Amino acid sequence: MNVTSKSQIEEINRIRNHKLYKELMSQDVSLYMNDALENDLILNMGPQHPATHGVLRVVLRLDGETIINAVPELGYLHRGYEKLAENATYHEFIPHTDRLDYISPMSNNVAIALAIENALGIEAPPRAQWIRTLVAEMARISSHLMAIGSTCLDLGAMTVFLWTFIEREKLYDLFQEICGARFTTSYSRIGGVANDIPDNVINGIRKWLDEFPALLKKAEALVDRNRIFIDRMAGVGYLSKERAIALGASGPTLRGSGVPRDLRKDNPYLVYEQIDFNIITLNDGDTLARYMVRVKEMYESAKILHQILDKLPQGEVKLNQPKKVLPNKSEIYTKMEELIHDFMLINYGAAPEKGETYTAIESPKGELGFFIVSDGTGQPWKLKIHSPSATNLQTLSEMARGSMIADMVVIIGSVDPIMGEADK
Amino acid sequence: MNIKHNIESDRLTFWEKIYIPEIAKGLASTFKTMFQPKFTRSYPEEKMVPSPSFRGRPVLVQEEEGGRCVACGLCSRVCPALAIEVQPAETDKEKERFPKVFEINMLRCIFCGFCEEVCPEEAIVMSQDYELVFTSQEDAILPKEKLLVPIKNLQDRLEWLRQYR
Repeated sequence: MNVTSKSQIEEINRIRNHKLYKELMSQDVSLYMNDALENDLILNMGPQHPATHGVLRVVLRLDGETIINAVPELGYLHRGYEKLAENATYHEFIPHTDRLDYISPMSNNVAIALAIENALGIEAPPRAQWIRTLVAEMARISSHLMAIGSTCLDLGAMTVFLWTFIEREKLYDLFQEICGARFTTSYSRIGGVANDIPDNVINGIRKWLDEFPALLKKAEALVDRNRIFIDRMAGVGYLSKERAIALGASGPTLRGSGVPRDLRKDNPYLVYEQIDFNIITLNDGDTLARYMVRVKEMYESAKILHQILDKLPQGEVKLNQPKKVLPNKSEIYTKMEELIHDFMLINYGAAPEKGETYTAIESPKGELGFFIVSDGTGQPWKLKIHSPSATNLQTLSEMARGSMIADMVVIIGSVDPIMGEADK
Repeated sequence: MNIKHNIESDRLTFWEKIYIPEIAKGLASTFKTMFQPKFTRSYPEEKMVPSPSFRGRPVLVQEEEGGRCVACGLCSRVCPALAIEVQPAETDKEKERFPKVFEINMLRCIFCGFCEEVCPEEAIVMSQDYELVFTSQEDAILPKEKLLVPIKNLQDRLEWLRQYR
């Protein structure tokens, strides 16, 4: 249906608002109405609210200052990436994944590369696998630094935000050394990674890693025994274990409620089997628990990074399979066969077998999965993105019900939604 | 109602609860930080020196006898943002083909480096140039003349590419 006239747009808006308010009014109200003078208030939070981490709109129904119901509305940052993928080859879709979860582009690149490799039935060489694990863990640290910094900023503790940003800045400098871009990395490729990491950059990572836990400890110590911080975080936004599982939460949101689910352990991908680390779970299920899970996970990630740097093997970073993986540059320049493969791969794409595959990794936000339906051509017939932010946001109304309106900001911050990923 | 009892505040000690030592500690940390070296850079005066791995503005390599590009159109095909336009032409020289028109729309370019990765002639590379300011939309569409850069200015990047890619 083509929407052209103004009346059609108004009609669509009317239907959308109707659905929203129906959802909002679903709770029994008589319980909260003690005084005849009290009336419920419908309040729109966002989409242009600085504390909603992007363009999230939450419609709140308030009784005084108490939230009776909250309905998150997604879709303000919808760019149609699933549809775009159907008109691009698999290789061309890699830069698009940078813009999904734009706080940790490296782990998105790893996820899409693993998904395509799973569909193609190939596996990257060992060094590429280790490098991917390395960058994915670095992305986890940078994402969690942003998450705890912005949670503290929402509470008014600006110093934590600035200090974690310094660490994040150092990480981004390392990303620039590794792949050439700070933010939009596009580093993983089908069958490996774009380029090898030079030895001096490995030493740079090691140097940063030696300093990092102490600096994180310093930033963490600013608030971890602070009374105002704890009063505002502890006991707020409670999510029980059962409800967290039922609502499909994943990542720190789920582990903060005491469910030890982590795809790195449950369904090991890359080289996580060969690495010794713990899953962090806390049983409180409130915003403080989710915050602490992120903080502790960063120390675990630092531990993982140490092990990776010690064990990093030498060798090729790209698979030598010219029908599916782009050949090395030196071979393209000198050999006819590789030149032809280069042209064929770019023009028609690497074609997986007809069928369906689902591959998921534990991204910093939770389970990030790509469901690829292939019809045997170089372009996916359908590429579904299972994004952790979208599922985690479904827990929002559960957490918000019954808390104060000022807590809403903290609750949103503790879920750590990235709207680029939630809206796709 | 989902409010649980505030367990964490019970764990705080008396001194942490009255908050006065915390204020003193906070101010002490503020004064300490005042004398530490600054992390930020005052940008226009101090410029960032990018490493050879940096992906800046895409440029065409210019050798003494002319550009390397043979107008195969592969960069234009792979570009996810559809930023490159190539129109081929032919001559009688040793290299038979050359681009009649080669335009990169810098408003569309996303600096992914795919054009450089697929180029079979090492003709288009990402330079170290990151200061891109345009005063109009027409200026942002770079023609061939503005894209050609002498090869001696790109040695760092070319060597890095040969070694690590």
